[in-house]
Amino acid sequence: MIAITPATVLQRRSDVRYRRIEGEAVVLRQSAAEVLVLNEVGASVLELADGELSVGEWIDALAGEYDGDSASLARDVLAFAAELAEAGLLEPVAGGPEP
Amino acid sequence: MSFGAGFLRHPDLFPARRAGEPWGDRAVALDVAGGPYLLSGLAATQEEALRRRFGPLCGTAEAGGTATRVFRAPAADFLPIDTRGWEYTLDLDPAPDALRVAGLRLMARLDWTPALAGALWTPETAGEEWASVCENYLRLLTAHRLLEEGGALLHSAGVSDGESAWLLLGPSGAGKTTASRLCLAGGGTVLSDDLNAVLFGEGGARLRKLPFTGDLGERAGGGPRSVPLRAVLRLAQGEEEGLRPLSPAAALASLVAAAPFVNRDPFRREALLAVLERLARAVPAWEVTFSREGRLWAILQSIPP
Repeated sequence: MIAITPATVLQRRSDVRYRRIEGEAVVLRQSAAEVLVLNEVGASVLELADGELSVGEWIDALAGEYDGDSASLARDVLAFAAELAEAGLLEPVAGGPEP
Repeated sequence: MSFGAGFLRHPDLFPARRAGEPWGDRAVALDVAGGPYLLSGLAATQEEALRRRFGPLCGTAEAGGTATRVFRAPAADFLPIDTRGWEYTLDLDPAPDALRVAGLRLMARLDWTPALAGALWTPETAGEEWASVCENYLRLLTAHRLLEEGGALLHSAGVSDGESAWLLLGPSGAGKTTASRLCLAGGGTVLSDDLNAVLFGEGGARLRKLPFTGDLGERAGGGPRSVPLRAVLRLAQGEEEGLRPLSPAAALASLVAAAPFVNRDPFRREALLAVLERLARAVPAWEVTFSREGRLWAILQSIPP
């Protein structure tokens, strides 16, 4: 599992294509055959991974959208970002802090 | 493995353009979804084999259509392949305006400049061997033509009661043929238990019969040609039969996984996603659990129109 901190800046890999449909997201990688379905939080994370915002800024943005305590949201987002990076959907921005 | 290396003795000599020595001067126009498809440069034996396989779907060259020229290729250009237990596959090399294809006893290319057109090189001159080579090429061509028409080719079973159709999805081994047999036994019609076309018309999404079938369905016509699509179903086998609604995203994921050839093409995947998203939003989707001796056909018919 790749270690992700709030300072990490991630972006979607260039071969990732996705569609957001009724909250969830369907994700394809051009270099792989599998198709993934992400839940609403996962879809939001994928959308926020624009290579400019840090993971900490994602957490702040999502805190305004979802109810619940901020500590568990932060934990979930960090874990989700690591999973998406592990799955090859996200990558660290070149020159940014190493995950 | 580099493109073509599994099928061709000299992949580096793959034709760079749609040219070569035609087999003859015969031509056939095939009336298949997304078509017609005009195959020219055929030998008389090749034309006969196509007419035998596709029957009334074969028309004369005057019908025109998306053009494919068929050319000779020396048998020595192809590697011998032991097909016992071999799962059929094509090697694809997509580019923005072209697609190179290598397969069992075939080379082919599609070009989109100025409009979609194809070329097929093969050493097969007659009989089932040639008809199979041609059908495998046509499956690929149909997938791309349907996409241009805002539709899709889907690895699926299509069943119908004559007024509505149901599209059954699942990977190999999920039970598409078993499900098709149950629907047949219940009084339904099988459009195809292998590949079906979905197109949009004025009334919404329609399932269009294709001559590309597995064990069930008819290659040469018969039965309904096109039927309104009532539901998309992801197949699951189990003893506790029933329906569970699928979210549009889950339906879209199943549809993308079922779209052969194009879902591996980075230059045409975006268009495929758009078409299948439209389908996922337009048609209700369910996961249906069924058993081998069960009442699948009744379950499908219980889905409201």
